[in-house]
Amino acid sequence: MFLEINNIKKSFGEAENRIEVLKGIDLSIDKGEFCVLLGPSGSGKSTLLNIIGGIDSSDEGYISIDGEKTGEMKEKKLTLYRRKHLGYIFQMYNLIPNLTIRENIEVGAYLSDKPLDIDDMLQTLGIYEHQHKLPNQLSGGQQQRTAIGRALIKNPDILLCDEPTGALDYNTSKGILKLIETVNQKYGNTVVMVTHNDAIKYMADQVVHLKDGTIRKSYHNENKIPAEELDW
Amino acid sequence: MRNPLQKRLLRELRDEAGKYAVIFILLVATIGFVSGFLVADSSMRITYDESFEKYNIEDGYFDVKKEMTQEQKAVLEKNEITIYENYFMEEELTNGSTLRIYADREDVDRGCLMEGHLPEQAGEIAIDRMYAENNKIAVGDTIGSADREWTVSGYVALSDYSSLFSDNNDSMFDAVKFGVAIVPKEDFDTFSKKTLHYRYAWTYGTEPVNETAENDRAEDLMKAMGKAVSLESFVPRYQNQAIIFTGNDMGSDKGMMTALLYMIIVILAFVFGITISNTITKEANTIGTLRASGYTRGELVRHYISMPLLVTLIGAVLGNILGYTVLEKVVCQMYYGSYSLTKYVTAWSGEAFWKTTVVPIIMMMIINLLILNHKMKVSPLKFIRRDLSRRKQKRAVRLGVMVPFFTRFRLRIIFQNMSNYAMLLVGIIFANLLLFFGLALPEVLDHYQDDIQQNMLSSYQYMLSVPVSVMSEESKIKSLISMLEFSKAVETDNESAEKFTAYSLNTTDDICDGEEILLYGIQKDSQYVPLDVSEGQVYISKGYADKHLLKAGHTITLKEKYKDDSYDFVVTGIYDYMGTLSLFINQDQLNEMFDLDQDYFSGYFSDTEITDINDKYIGSVVDLEALTKISRQLDVSMGSMMYLVDGFAILIFMVLIYLLSKIVIEKNGQSISMVKILGYGNGEISRLYIFSTSFMVVLFLLLSMVIDYYFMLVIFRQIMLESFSGWIEFHITAGIFIKMFILGIVTYAVVAVLEVRKIRKVPMDEALKNVE
Ligand SMILES: Nc1ncnc2c1ncn2[C@@H]1O[C@H](COP(=O)(O)OP(=O)(O)OP(=O)(O)O)[C@@H](O)[C@H]1O
Ligand SMILES: [Mg+2]
Repeated sequence: MFLEINNIKKSFGEAENRIEVLKGIDLSIDKGEFCVLLGPSGSGKSTLLNIIGGIDSSDEGYISIDGEKTGEMKEKKLTLYRRKHLGYIFQMYNLIPNLTIRENIEVGAYLSDKPLDIDDMLQTLGIYEHQHKLPNQLSGGQQQRTAIGRALIKNPDILLCDEPTGALDYNTSKGILKLIETVNQKYGNTVVMVTHNDAIKYMADQVVHLKDGTIRKSYHNENKIPAEELDW
Repeated sequence: MRNPLQKRLLRELRDEAGKYAVIFILLVATIGFVSGFLVADSSMRITYDESFEKYNIEDGYFDVKKEMTQEQKAVLEKNEITIYENYFMEEELTNGSTLRIYADREDVDRGCLMEGHLPEQAGEIAIDRMYAENNKIAVGDTIGSADREWTVSGYVALSDYSSLFSDNNDSMFDAVKFGVAIVPKEDFDTFSKKTLHYRYAWTYGTEPVNETAENDRAEDLMKAMGKAVSLESFVPRYQNQAIIFTGNDMGSDKGMMTALLYMIIVILAFVFGITISNTITKEANTIGTLRASGYTRGELVRHYISMPLLVTLIGAVLGNILGYTVLEKVVCQMYYGSYSLTKYVTAWSGEAFWKTTVVPIIMMMIINLLILNHKMKVSPLKFIRRDLSRRKQKRAVRLGVMVPFFTRFRLRIIFQNMSNYAMLLVGIIFANLLLFFGLALPEVLDHYQDDIQQNMLSSYQYMLSVPVSVMSEESKIKSLISMLEFSKAVETDNESAEKFTAYSLNTTDDICDGEEILLYGIQKDSQYVPLDVSEGQVYISKGYADKHLLKAGHTITLKEKYKDDSYDFVVTGIYDYMGTLSLFINQDQLNEMFDLDQDYFSGYFSDTEITDINDKYIGSVVDLEALTKISRQLDVSMGSMMYLVDGFAILIFMVLIYLLSKIVIEKNGQSISMVKILGYGNGEISRLYIFSTSFMVVLFLLLSMVIDYYFMLVIFRQIMLESFSGWIEFHITAGIFIKMFILGIVTYAVVAVLEVRKIRKVPMDEALKNVE
């Protein structure tokens, strides 16, 4: 198994304020799989994603990626690990305001020994003609595509997305989803995406429903449909 | 591949051009000035040190009444010394000054031509450059006394007169009233023998290895000479003020300049630090994302620290270029304004490089690294959540609804900006400290000068000088006769004159080791020093007490300078006298303590001039003129420096207040555009935001003055300990605080007006665009 999530438990706060956010999560994701995490607000989706990405730690259990347990790594090694294998996309684009679109993507490329071609990426993202603009001269969707470009340019093994389309309209969201789908198929990256949008489950290989810190439902899609045909 | 983040640097520079320009100019100016100062100082130092060999400066001189015979000379030279004639005559010039004229000397104490040419024929004279400048005498001018005239052929610097002391016993020199000059040897020989002073210089065959050896050597030499000739005076080089004063005084401001530089660097590092930490707060989400995708903490720290380092590096390079080219000359000119130094060559100074380039960069790096590391310790997740404080969430302070809404709003703004205000406070403390420094120093000096003049022990204080012939050990009879002659000659009929004994010893404490303390042996019921000096009573001057932190009841140990004998005194009380570091005891007790005759005395206090004692028995007179000499010279040598520091302090103060309040107000830009969207007018917003900051600025200005006063006491004390041989009281008036406050308010008002205009221009979409 490529990505193994084993009995992950996590709680926040002390004493009477203590809440158990994740109550023992087990999950396996294959290489190249597109996995969608669904669930109501506060169910622990982001927390789980952050633990997978190694920017948060679990109280119990472990994450193993390609046989390596991230929980055992020291901060330095963990950073190096993220650098080599992970790509992150958040709901907020978090671009660097005084770097151009192209340069923002270069910021991602810098992290990899063999990054993808930037021009190709800009074309794929559909922002080639905007490459020399600054982020605040672009629309939200264009900015999000830049953020995706920054994550993808280093061709990460795993792409972690936390509501990448949360702030975007129907069409733009669909465009972003198509993009992620294309990339997933073209480069075979494993994708884990957190979303509120129930419709997205149809394009996933694996669908996981979280509620109150446990997995309520988890299944593989027999016939997934392309992002193009999604509707909500 | 270069880190693409670095591409931001140039843009950041361009976007914040104003701020960086200000910092940069400040940096260049400070580094340039201090580097110029240090380079000039070391070049001058080298020039001075090398002058001893280059111009063959004497190891000492002695005066005799009659010209020595060849035989006498030969006898003296048996002591492994070489003797040179160094005759001079003195002329009262028509401009009211005294000119000491030597023959152009070729073997010892050679001169250095500064301008024009050396005198070649009768009627030509080369005069000291500084004296000439002080008296506005140009090359080619004619100068003259009642019965002679010369044409000035050029300016010279005489190596044995780098400080123009006319009398070695003077405490300060006066380069307006006294100058030195040379005329051609042939011309000199035509002078009347009557007016000649027979001075001889000597040099040792082998130089003594250290000061103590030199002292022993000189003492032996004096005894030996006393047998052969009748000495009028005997001054080894290490006691010759005209030669050593310059060397001792040089570099005394160095500590102050370096302290100033470091202070400014710390301030700038601090400004950079808060700028960066603001940027980090602003870019928290981005930093979190970058960290999450694998950027190491080190990479980000390196990125954020590049700007201050780059600016400092370029500033240091430019500053040094400026220092070596322009400012060094300016500072050298200042040296030439105080001393008669020979020509100098700019020398590379390792110390200057270290202090103005290496240390600032290291300081900048350390301070920013500390701030950055602290800031960056936060985990990536917290960055993404913009949860940067590492403390537990504070609960919002409850404000009752009774408080008017606007006041509550303002209070909220203040609470919200607590950390900014803390930084503003620290900044204002720094800035005000500099300003305080600049404003207080001239006032302190003024007060010192007034005080000294008003609180003289007596209008005239005569220090008698025992003729060297008394010391003749070999011929006891001769010595006795001289002594008798002397004691008769120094009696006066002046009614107001009062005898005292003076003796000097050195301190042995940790505060300022080896400092000279003047012991006064005072008569009981003295009318000049109204102290009860009965047996065993010991009073010290306030200057001494302040500098050495002494109080009644303390025991002090003093020792002889070149011997190991030491003496203990228990302080009975403090005498309110700042002029010198002195100790007052009973005269009989003092005489006994140092094995002096029972009715021995070494000087007179007097309210009127004493006219019936031969000048040759009077070593020095401390009178109003002598004291104003000190203040005049202090003004010449420190005045220009002080005003530079002054101007600089005010400049930096303004810049700092500007930068800090700008940062605070800018940080609120987001909320400002937010309330703008809500429909608040510009006036209201200004009243809300500017008012809160203004209130804090006023509060901090007041607070910082109190804090800085205490800082200043410590700093001033340190400067006094390091660079002055006396003691100057830190005495200031309330006027300084008023000046400081007004300057602070005015500066801030300028910033506030600029910021109000800026608030007007804050675009409304800023809140929407940048909210991440
Ligand atoms: N740092 C934290 N400290 C305390 N509680 C936290 C922290 N982070 C998350 N939580 C709590 O953990 C729970 C799960 O949060 P999480 O962000 O994982 O939810 P989510 O499923 O992503 O919700 P949403 O869909 O709204 O983003 C929430 O109740 C939240 O309050
Ligand atoms: Mg979430």
